[in-house]
Amino acid sequence: MQIKRVTIENFRSIKRAEIELSATTVLIGPNNAGKTAILEAIRIALTRRWGQRGTGFTEYDVHLSAARTDPKVGDPVVIEIEIQESAVSEWPEELHETLADIIQLNPMSGQASIIMRVSCAWDDGEQSYIPKWEFLNTDRNPLAGKGARATNFQEFFSFLPVFYLDALRDAGDEFTARSQFWGRLLRTVQIPDPLEQKSVRIFNLLNAKLLAADPLLGDLATSLSDISRVATTGTPGQANLRVLPLNTWDLLSKAEVIYQNDGTKPWLPLTRHGQGVQSLSVMFLFRSFVELLLGELYRAESTPVLALEEPETHLHPQAARTLFGHVAQLQGQKIVSTHSPYFLQYVPFRDLRVVRAGPDGTIIKSLPREFRCRVPNLPAFAPVMAASGGLLEYDGGLSELVIKGSLPIGTYQNLLVACNGHADMAALHARLRAARDASLEFISDEDLQKLETFARRIRGEIFFANKWLLVEGQSEYHLVHGMAKAMNFDLDEHGVAVIDFANNGNCGMFTALARALGYAWTMVVDGDLAGNQYIASVQARNFSPAEVAQLVRQIAGQTLEHQLVADGLQVELKAILTTQGVPGVAAMDDAALIATLSGDKCGYAAELAAQCAASLPLTQRMPLAIREAIETLRGLP
Amino acid sequence: MTELEKALSELTPAQAAATNWVDGPLFVLAGPGSGKTRVLTTRVAKLLAETPDKSFRVMALTFTNKAADEMASRIEAVVPDQQQRATIGTFHSFCMQMLQQHGSHIGINPNFAIYSLESDRADLLKEAIRANGLDSDDERFLGTIDKLKARLIQPEGCAKLFRDSGVGQRVELVYGAYEAALRSANALDFGSLIAQAYRLISTFPGVALHYRRAYAYWMFDEFQDTTDGQYRLIKALAGDSFRNVFAVADDDQIIYQWNGASYKQIQRFRADFSPTEIQLPTNYRCPPSIVAAANRLVVHNTQRTAAKQPLEAGKTTLLYPDGQHINLLRYSTEEAEATAIAAGIAGIPEGKRGQIAVLARTRALLERMNTALANAGVSAAIAQRRDDFRSAQFLWLAAALRLAARPADRRALDTLTGAFNRWFDLGASSDDIAAGAEISGRSLLAEWAGAVGFGENDQANALTALATALSAQPTTFRAFIDQVLEKLPAEGSEDATDIDEDRTAWVSLVRSIGQAIGRDAGLDQFLQELALRSKEPPVPDNAVTLMTIHSAKGKEFDHVYVIGLAEDVLPSFQSVKAGEQSAEMEEERRNCFVAITRAREWLCLSYADRYRGWAKQPSRFLLEMGLNLPQAVSA
Repeated sequence: MQIKRVTIENFRSIKRAEIELSATTVLIGPNNAGKTAILEAIRIALTRRWGQRGTGFTEYDVHLSAARTDPKVGDPVVIEIEIQESAVSEWPEELHETLADIIQLNPMSGQASIIMRVSCAWDDGEQSYIPKWEFLNTDRNPLAGKGARATNFQEFFSFLPVFYLDALRDAGDEFTARSQFWGRLLRTVQIPDPLEQKSVRIFNLLNAKLLAADPLLGDLATSLSDISRVATTGTPGQANLRVLPLNTWDLLSKAEVIYQNDGTKPWLPLTRHGQGVQSLSVMFLFRSFVELLLGELYRAESTPVLALEEPETHLHPQAARTLFGHVAQLQGQKIVSTHSPYFLQYVPFRDLRVVRAGPDGTIIKSLPREFRCRVPNLPAFAPVMAASGGLLEYDGGLSELVIKGSLPIGTYQNLLVACNGHADMAALHARLRAARDASLEFISDEDLQKLETFARRIRGEIFFANKWLLVEGQSEYHLVHGMAKAMNFDLDEHGVAVIDFANNGNCGMFTALARALGYAWTMVVDGDLAGNQYIASVQARNFSPAEVAQLVRQIAGQTLEHQLVADGLQVELKAILTTQGVPGVAAMDDAALIATLSGDKCGYAAELAAQCAASLPLTQRMPLAIREAIETLRGLP
Repeated sequence: MTELEKALSELTPAQAAATNWVDGPLFVLAGPGSGKTRVLTTRVAKLLAETPDKSFRVMALTFTNKAADEMASRIEAVVPDQQQRATIGTFHSFCMQMLQQHGSHIGINPNFAIYSLESDRADLLKEAIRANGLDSDDERFLGTIDKLKARLIQPEGCAKLFRDSGVGQRVELVYGAYEAALRSANALDFGSLIAQAYRLISTFPGVALHYRRAYAYWMFDEFQDTTDGQYRLIKALAGDSFRNVFAVADDDQIIYQWNGASYKQIQRFRADFSPTEIQLPTNYRCPPSIVAAANRLVVHNTQRTAAKQPLEAGKTTLLYPDGQHINLLRYSTEEAEATAIAAGIAGIPEGKRGQIAVLARTRALLERMNTALANAGVSAAIAQRRDDFRSAQFLWLAAALRLAARPADRRALDTLTGAFNRWFDLGASSDDIAAGAEISGRSLLAEWAGAVGFGENDQANALTALATALSAQPTTFRAFIDQVLEKLPAEGSEDATDIDEDRTAWVSLVRSIGQAIGRDAGLDQFLQELALRSKEPPVPDNAVTLMTIHSAKGKEFDHVYVIGLAEDVLPSFQSVKAGEQSAEMEEERRNCFVAITRAREWLCLSYADRYRGWAKQPSRFLLEMGLNLPQAVSA
């Protein structure tokens, strides 16, 4: 059982957001973008303690904006959780049987889904935020009859127990007898009665012997007995000294994990180790808990849902890099937030969610395999779907049209026509248009496979950037950094990642990726044939001519080196080459200079970039296309 | 010993064989008083109790809410912690649940209303005809529409089923308009519960798959009453793969032939599922002489299982000595018959009258009997399904709840206004109120309260204030009900028979609904369940029960009187006309069979020489039973 999608409305930083979840979903994004709000929304929806008087939900959980300043007035907070079988009868029998009254169906295949909604609004009568949990049908109307019974929630939650490990987890807290995993694990330990009794006898005997060993201990016990004269009113009590545990639980509850770094180091309690080891140990404790105890505490068929904040906390980059593999292998469904480029390195693109604060609340971007549109299954859709060659499908279990790729204009128009005469035609058209627009951002598995190959190394860097600047090669890479500094737009300070795409795949793919994940971008290419091809490859990604004109700059000359010479930088360039010990520089004509520069790109470019950084006048003599690209970047949101 | 072990230990070997059946189809052919319902409930309990670690569900369907409630209570008593795995209900309640959960695929919202009243349906049809510009004569097709629905036929293309294509065309149009009106009112009638569930299942294979997956064992009580539509629903649900179907039936107790029940359904079940058959011929209810009479009677029928064993008398302790179990009395007229029977009953101590039933073929005979009993000072009640309440007070209460759930329900406004006018002798017009609501934009309930509130009567004002509050916050409907009940005339006050009856009916309805959907269910569901149930009050303690034979099915009493055993009465005039070999006559014979086998200790059969002034022969069934007809009229 796996959560397919969570829809959140009016919750903290989120006005409205949909997030699709996979087995392991990784959230990245700046601080305060809404990552924790997503994790918390899932936790709250699956625990049902929310909003009870004095606990949980408060006015601070309501999304506020310029249009809404009073949390007590306005639309309710809504969290919707959708769960669906990935194939017919994927779920175990017990689940189908136990949750039979709330299950919704793809009516043709019988593929099951469950839709649950939590909503919460201020209630004037109750003077409190009153939450409401409901299971919904495929039209998103609350179920009636047996499906509305409260007992369904208990059963449902037992199949999807949720656990939360926040960023501030502390081994000192997590390994106590009262903690969520360790404490529960310890409490299930069963000591056979004879052993328990024998242990108690030995503890008592040893305790007495120790007390008797030094008169000081005995005297201390006697004197402490005076407590009872003050503390008790009736029968006199007695105080004693206990240097050994009273029973085996007393002993077990103090059990602790010791850890040895390597064979030569001493065994030390976990809390004496570094923060990284401690943080890591809590995660592995969760794993043990799930493996050993989950079935017993919940059900054998339960799927734990783990909300995990920053698993990389305090870890060495090398450890962070391998950590994703460990997290992905944890049983159940994981939703992980991270700030670590190293952790990100092995996360599949499809599992990535980029979370940002937008002007109208949190925005979540991803690279979906399919796009969904909430429209009824109109009979007139059938021929369009049949002719779509598998691109279109109808998911009756969630009442959605599924688009498995970019929707071609012809098919889209046929869908619009199919809605003709429907009472809600305008609304259906609007939804189809939104889905069609989203589908144009589709990136295929083959493209992502290429990106995996080329861009793994730079992935951490580019996904934590705000904006992308695409350039052809290393020379441009150096130059833009230097020039931008002079232009008072330091690329690092402004979170700009410069991608030299010629070495990392193809630029069309990067622009599509940037659009799909919501990174602002701009690009500079040469004026030669290759440059034209690069521009064509961007156009092929469903960008409009206007977008291309706005975001792509082409150097007027054939190549960067041609343009530098055309811009009259021969003196500076020759000086750099001379310093680098290139022979015969002075005698070179323009053609020879260009040829030399083109042969050794990095060497001169790094030096020229450094000079640009130090001199605005020099930067202003550099190729216009590059300066314009930097200005474009500055202007992008 | 656990409750289950106790229940199992009380079974006879034949009952145990049926109860212990696990996988595969089984058909239990069981006579009256053979403990078939006990077999069914014990089997449900056993299946659940023996699999505490499993989560599969079991469904058991029967034909009346009462029977379902009894079955559910029995199962709860035996396996309280597994009870939630059992879905016990009627075909209609099962279909209602299915449509609540999966109806979205055929455009049905979970909060649909159920139109259980003929008057509501007639109004709806009338409006549909007017709105579509059809011929107002065609209102007469409501019955035709019901027949089509019972056969699971949807409006589209139904015209071609008619011999007269002109009529067919008109019916198709009217039926289509009627269904569209139901849809736009977000309502279903009883017929659509089954027909739409069938449409859902037969259109969408995934839905049936869900029920096969979640419900491991299916059971049907009183299977002989299954209609063609219900049988096709079961078959579509089971598909070709599902086999764990367990049906309990008595082909000698088919008395709903007029409503679509037929021996054919039993034959189809045998053909489709090839079930193993177990017979439970032993009757533990009736004295041996009644069993013998029943056997002699029913062998005259041909539409029954050829290999069916005759009933065997299994009752061991008898209250009365041999030779006194069947009495046959003859009177000059039906009046004399009623008076004499009433006098006889008046001679029985009051404390035993709760165990007396008078059964008759027709309602008219019961009315006469009721009067005679009243004249003799005997308390009695005719037990029969009521589709609605009788008192203005409860009609108003139900209409107010309906309007709270459906603020624009014009028919509920008519009932509400009419009932309140009757209650407080007012003259409010629902047309005016509806027009006012259109202008003010208020809900009909709020508009009504505004229009009739602030009068001279404090109680009326208090009630309209409650209604206003309810219309603002429909979720507070339970508090509303409590407050209204407090304001009703006290029990036993003058001219309050209807109120008292409705009140006892209300209390038992609320209990039964609570058992079915829980006590915290919402208003929509409460109203759905309310619509499914009869509003008849339970028969008071120590009152004699008067019942038609049809209502008496499944019941038993110590003393049973069957009156009107004359030709043209039982058997009915129509069946006599149809002839001795007719299906109608066989149905009448089964009616008689059902009637006499209700008796636990004592049976009194009676007839008069004249009914409605016409001379009538004694019923042929008396002779078939092998009874000696009295030579003279009884004193």
